[in-house]
Amino acid sequence: MAVLSTPKSAVQLASKGRPLKEHLFRIALLSSLAIALIFLGMLLIYTLEEGWGRLNPMLWENMPSIRRPETAGIQSGIFGTLWIISLTALMALPTGILAAIYLEEYADRGRWYNKIIELNISNLAAVPSIVYGILGLGIIARWLQFGFTVMTGAITISLLVLPIVIISAREAIRAVPPSIREGSLALGATQWQTIWRQVLPASIPGIATGSILALSRAIGEAAPFLMLGAATLVRFNPEGVWSSFTVLPLQIYNFISQSREEFHVLAAAAIVVLLAILLVMNSVAIWLRNRYQKRW
Amino acid sequence: MSQPNVTIRGPEVPNTPGSLDPVFTVEDLSVFYGDYEAVRNVDMMIGRREITAMIGPSGCGKSTVLRCFNRMNDLIPGAHIKGKILYHDENLYGDHVDPIEVRRRIGMVFQKPNPFPKSIYENVAYGPKVNGIKRNMDTVVEEALTKAALWDEVKDKLKQNALSLSGGQQQRLCIARAIAVKPEVILMDEPCSALDPIATTKIEDLMQELRQEYTILIVTHNMQQAARVSDRTAFFTAEVDDAGVRHGRLVEFDQTTRIFTKPSDKRTEDYITGRFG
Ligand SMILES: Nc1ncnc2c1ncn2[C@@H]1O[C@H](COP(=O)(O)OP(=O)(O)OP(=O)(O)O)[C@@H](O)[C@H]1O
Ligand SMILES: [Mg+2]
Repeated sequence: MAVLSTPKSAVQLASKGRPLKEHLFRIALLSSLAIALIFLGMLLIYTLEEGWGRLNPMLWENMPSIRRPETAGIQSGIFGTLWIISLTALMALPTGILAAIYLEEYADRGRWYNKIIELNISNLAAVPSIVYGILGLGIIARWLQFGFTVMTGAITISLLVLPIVIISAREAIRAVPPSIREGSLALGATQWQTIWRQVLPASIPGIATGSILALSRAIGEAAPFLMLGAATLVRFNPEGVWSSFTVLPLQIYNFISQSREEFHVLAAAAIVVLLAILLVMNSVAIWLRNRYQKRW
Repeated sequence: MSQPNVTIRGPEVPNTPGSLDPVFTVEDLSVFYGDYEAVRNVDMMIGRREITAMIGPSGCGKSTVLRCFNRMNDLIPGAHIKGKILYHDENLYGDHVDPIEVRRRIGMVFQKPNPFPKSIYENVAYGPKVNGIKRNMDTVVEEALTKAALWDEVKDKLKQNALSLSGGQQQRLCIARAIAVKPEVILMDEPCSALDPIATTKIEDLMQELRQEYTILIVTHNMQQAARVSDRTAFFTAEVDDAGVRHGRLVEFDQTTRIFTKPSDKRTEDYITGRFG
């Protein structure tokens, strides 16, 4: 700067100081971030402290019990959650991604039925999860007579996350520049080849992140399972999709409703395990995004 | 002038000096976006192994016409044409014509270089792959890159992402990509407008090379470029009709030397001398 501002220079490059407004805005942004982080940190520390005494191998080696909190574990809950999430991923991800491809690449936006579909997907994403529980109970568990099984739970949770998967996959697909599609089509590629070889690979990071975040949300759900009439105490791991089961949030809920203090410690320890699973999933999402990120 | 002072159009073109072996014959072509008639009543011919330039002010429908030749306009909802484009003897818009097959024979290079976010090698191999070409892919890639005058610059980094190339290199890669499927015609929509003068010269030289083997149609805003590279030039402009709607029209189509030395239409002359648009 010194080089430029010769004594009689007409060009004024010297800093005049940032206007006050700009400073205030930065402070507002930083403090919102700080508030969010502080609360999250406090929550984590509190839970860790509370559950520390029970964070030992018994937690994942033993089955739950409502008589002996000292040795009770949450193995059936961990396995139940993993079963539900895997089956949900198998059902909801392909369906959601294909639906997103249809809406972005094939649907004629002008048609009334496509407009209705679009509107309703956004609405469905906002429906409280307990409503999906009612749906699962009425239609899947009772009418289809699937009972309270892993299958019923996974279908219900699939329906719950489907709108979120569709919306995030659509965003990822839309972020692929039209010039890529044009370039591919101009070479004589069919529309499906263009989607399969150009659009999908380019949108995988976005689709993967969105999907994992949607599944993470589903992991924390207790309401739909309560609604489905979940058993309060399941002392075995699911053996297949037609097995009955429990999930971590339900088990936590169950422990917390007990009056003895030891159960509350157990609940806190279970929460730490749930958080750990979530953390792993989110790290995978971040890793995927960084690994496959595309620049245009 | 002994010749009648009219715009030379349609079937008369082959009788003009330097007779023309048509790849495309455009007959009374009008292009619509929904109800809007963007271009009206175009008649022209595209000569085999010639470079045909399309010039004219912005919005007169050059891109619109260009995109009819490989049916890229089909992708825009509501876009349709009236009239005919004959490719050799076949109606390009005939009922049984497959646009995919059309695009395979008639390649396209876009205004903004649009390489795929993949390696250089994969960019070139993509067209042959989707078209089921079974030749040795390494040979195909090398040939195409050589023809596009890019081989020497990239031969040591074929596995690198194409987006790491400079703009001019990316555009030549896009040309290589188009060449790799062995088209007969290459359409170029302002291929140099995003490039600096040196990269532009390289592409222009390349076009002269490609002309030995391919028929080239180029839209350009740069009149010197049209004058330098093309054999024939079509001058388009936009006209307002009685209802106040703007339509693109072909004003004059002739050999480039004639268009730039003694145009037969006043509007062409005004445009090329810079008094218009
Ligand atoms: N997808 C589209 N939908 C509707 N109208 C369009 C579309 N593309 C182009 N047009 C209209 O068609 C007319 C011709 O456009 P076109 O892009 O062909 O002009 P151009 O001569 O290529 O202009 P430029 O030199 O600026 O590229 C313009 O009036 C434009 O608004
Ligand atoms: Mg244009």
